[in-house]
Amino acid sequence: MASATDSRYGQKESSDQNFDYMFKILIIGNSSVGKTSFLFRYADDSFTPAFVSTVGIDFKVKTIYRNDKRIKLQIWDTAGQERYRTITTAYYRGAMGFILMYDITNEESFNAVQDWSTQIKTYSWDNAQVLLVGNKCDMEDERVVSSERGRQLADHLGFEFFEASAKDNINVKQTFERLVDVICEKMSESLDTADPAVTGAKQGPQLTDQQAPPHQDCAC
Amino acid sequence: MAHEVHLDSLKVVEQDVILQVLYRDQAVQRIEEERIRPVFFDSLDCRRLKTQLQHLRWRGVKGPSTEYKDKCCARCQRVLGLLLNRGAVCRGCSHRVCSECRVRLRGTRVWRCTVCFEDRNVKIKTGEWFFEERAKKFPTEGKRETAGAKLLQSYQKLSTISVVPPTPPPFSESQCSRSPGKLQELGQFKGFNKSVENLFLSVATHMKKLSKSQNDMTSEKHLLATGPRQSTGQTERRSQSDTAVNVTTRKVSIPDIVKFLRQEDAKPSPGSVSKQEALPPISTPPALFSGGLRHGSIISINSTCTEMGNFDNANVTGEIEFAIRYCFKTHCLEILIKTCKNLAYGEEKKKKCNPYVKTYLLPDKSSQGKRKTGVQKNTLDPTFQETLKYQVDPAQLVSRQLLVSVWHLGTLTRRVFLGEVIVPLATWDFEDSATQSFCWYPLRAKAEKYEDSVPQNNGELAVRAKLVLPTEPRKLQEAQEDQLSLNGQLCLVVLGAKNLPVRSDGTLNSFVKGCLTLPDQQKLRLKSPVLKKQACPQWKHSFVFNGVSRSQLRQASLELTVWDQAVFGMNDRLLGGARLGSKGDAVVGAGGGSQSKLQWQKVLSNPNLWTDMTLILH
Repeated sequence: MASATDSRYGQKESSDQNFDYMFKILIIGNSSVGKTSFLFRYADDSFTPAFVSTVGIDFKVKTIYRNDKRIKLQIWDTAGQERYRTITTAYYRGAMGFILMYDITNEESFNAVQDWSTQIKTYSWDNAQVLLVGNKCDMEDERVVSSERGRQLADHLGFEFFEASAKDNINVKQTFERLVDVICEKMSESLDTADPAVTGAKQGPQLTDQQAPPHQDCAC
Repeated sequence: MAHEVHLDSLKVVEQDVILQVLYRDQAVQRIEEERIRPVFFDSLDCRRLKTQLQHLRWRGVKGPSTEYKDKCCARCQRVLGLLLNRGAVCRGCSHRVCSECRVRLRGTRVWRCTVCFEDRNVKIKTGEWFFEERAKKFPTEGKRETAGAKLLQSYQKLSTISVVPPTPPPFSESQCSRSPGKLQELGQFKGFNKSVENLFLSVATHMKKLSKSQNDMTSEKHLLATGPRQSTGQTERRSQSDTAVNVTTRKVSIPDIVKFLRQEDAKPSPGSVSKQEALPPISTPPALFSGGLRHGSIISINSTCTEMGNFDNANVTGEIEFAIRYCFKTHCLEILIKTCKNLAYGEEKKKKCNPYVKTYLLPDKSSQGKRKTGVQKNTLDPTFQETLKYQVDPAQLVSRQLLVSVWHLGTLTRRVFLGEVIVPLATWDFEDSATQSFCWYPLRAKAEKYEDSVPQNNGELAVRAKLVLPTEPRKLQEAQEDQLSLNGQLCLVVLGAKNLPVRSDGTLNSFVKGCLTLPDQQKLRLKSPVLKKQACPQWKHSFVFNGVSRSQLRQASLELTVWDQAVFGMNDRLLGGARLGSKGDAVVGAGGGSQSKLQWQKVLSNPNLWTDMTLILH
C-alpha cells in the first residue's frame, strides 16, 4: 500500500504559462457540417469518418507561434443541434473570432449561414471576426453549393471565405491562422485608436498639443 | 443580456458530459489567470505610475511656465532642445518625450512612449483590449466571467448535492473604500489593497524597466514619493531587491488568495497592510475567480509539503483559543480562531515565528478539507480573529474529528509544526450555548500517526473473486497444469464499499484500482469507473486478470485501493486499500486480515467458484 500512497501527491498538473496571450475562437454551423472533425484535424491532426454528435460544447487548446508570439487558442466546438442553442450562444460573448461552417454537399446548411450570422451579431461583440468555411470540399461529386455562391455570400456578409476539408486536411490550418491574423489586426486597431481616450482623458486636463503631426519620428 | 443559462433541460448524461468540459475549461482559465495575475498587477502599477506622472506634469503645467512640459522628456526628464532633440508627442498619452523613450510598434512607423507601450502590451497580454471593446456592446458583462463559469454556477444551484458552496469573496464595499483612492479607475478590481510599500517598489521597478536613463530616475522618484513612507529608505531597498520582491509577490499570491477566499471574516489586523513585507496581503480581484466551483479552482500548493510530512518540528508549547459553532439550518460548522499564546519559535535560532492556523475535519485530510487562517508576523501570541467554515451534514459531524494545528511559515515554503489540538465532534453538544464559547486548548505534539489513536479503518470493500482455470484442471497434476496453461484468469468483482472516509459533504467520487503483482514483479493494473457523489459506492465492476496460473497467484499479491477522484488539478485522494496474497500477510495481519487471507486461499484452491469477501481498508 505504501507505493500507492507515495504517488498520491506525486506530480502536479503542470501549468504551462509559456504563451503570450490567449484567443478564444468559436466554431458554429449546422449539425453534421464537420465542425468537430475540423477541430480535431487542426488540434490533433486526426480524422474519423464516424459521426458523433457533440453534446453541448467542447473545446481544444492549441498553442501556435504567429508573428513572433505564442498564442494560445482555446477553440470551442459547439453542438449544431437546436436543443443546445441556449448553451452554445452563451459562449458567443467570450469569443474573439468565429468560424462559421457549412457543408458544401448540404444546401440546408448553406442556407442557414445567414441565420448563424445573425446569431453572431446578436450575441457577440461588434467587431467579432468571422470566417465562412465551406467544409467537405473533398466531396466534389456531391457538391451542391458552388464555391462562387459561398464567396458571394461571404462578401455579402463581410466575412472572409475558405473552402476546406477536414478529411483531406485542406485549408484547415490556413483557416485558423487567417482567423488569428484578423483578430490580431482588430486588436491593434482597437488599441491604437482607443489609446488617447483611455490613457489621457481620465486624469488631469488634456494637453493642448494632442493633434501632433503624425510623422515626427525622426525629428530629434 | 445577462440571462442565465441552465443545464437542467438536458439529460443527466448530457449534463455530465458538459460538466466535464466545464471543469476542463475551468482548469484552462486557471492557467490563464495565473499567467495574467502578475501582468495584471504590473499593469496596475503601470497605470498608477502614469497617473502620478501625469499629475506631476499637471503641476508642472500649472507652475511658473508652460514651457516646462516642452522642455524635458515626460518619461526620463531629459531636457529637450530647441532645435535638436526636440522630442515628440506620444499619441497615447499626449506627452512630449525624447527619442530614447519611444518604442516603435511592430510592423508600423507608429510609436508610443515607453509607458504607453507597456500599457498597450499589458492590454494585449491580459486580453483587456477585448473586454474594453466588448464593454461597448455589453457594458454590464463581467470581464473575465466566462460562460462556463456561469454554467457551473447555475449547475451548482440546481444540483441537489451540495458541494461546499463558494464563500462570497471577502472584499466588501467597505474594504474597497478603505483602500487608497483611484479605485474607481480599476472598476471591478476593487479588492485591490496592495501594500503601499510594495506598490511603490513595483512602481520603481517599472520606472527602472521603462526608462533607459537611471540617473534621471532618482530625482523623479523623490518627486513621486507621496506615500506614507519616505522615499529615502526606498531608494536603497529598491536597488537591492527589485526582482526579489516581485518574485515573492507571485509566489505568495496563490495561497494568499486561498486564504482570502476561504475566510469570510478576513479581518486584516490593523496595520497589516503596511507591515507585512515578505507577505503583502494581495487580494485578488474577485472577478478572476468567477467560477462557481470556487473551492475547486483553488488549490493550495503548500498542502503538498505538510501532507507529505515535509516540515520541521519545533518544541510544542503554548495554547490556542477557539470556539466551535454549528448552524443546523445552514449545516455550517464554524471554527472561530481567536488567539494563541506562548507559542514556540518557528525558527529558534533566529527567534522568528510567523504563525498561522490550519484545520481539517478528520478523517478527511484532503486539500479540499483544509482551511487556513492568515499568517501573523513575528509574534508568539498571535491574534487571528478569523472564522473557518465547513459545510457538513449533521450526520457527518459525529464521525469527524476537528484537527486544529498551528504552523510557522518560514522563508519560502518551509513550514514548522508548532502544535495541534484534536477535538472529536462525536460527543460535542452543538446545541449547548456553553460549548459555543471560546476555550483555551493546550497545544500538543503531533501524534505519531492519527491512525494510532483511532483504530485504523477506512471502510470496507466487498469483493467477489474466482480463479478460472481451463477445464479439467483437477485431473492433472498441478505442475503439469502450469506448464500446460498460463491462461488462467483471476476474476474479481468489486461490489461496493462502505464506511469510507467521505468528504465533508458526505460524498465521494470514488473508484477502485486493482494491481496484481506477479512473482516476477510484473504488475497488472486495472481500474474501475468513477462513481460520482456517493458515500457508499456500488461499482459492481469486474477486474479480469488474464494469463495467470494458480502457482503464480500463490506467490502473487493483489492490491486493491479505493480512491476519491479529485476536483481538477489535484491528485486523487487515496481512501484506503487492502492487499491479498503472499505479501499481504504482514500488512493485513490485524483485524479481518487473517480472515481475508483464508478467503484468498479459498479462492485459489477452489477454482471456478466465486468466493465473497469483505476487505478492511487501511
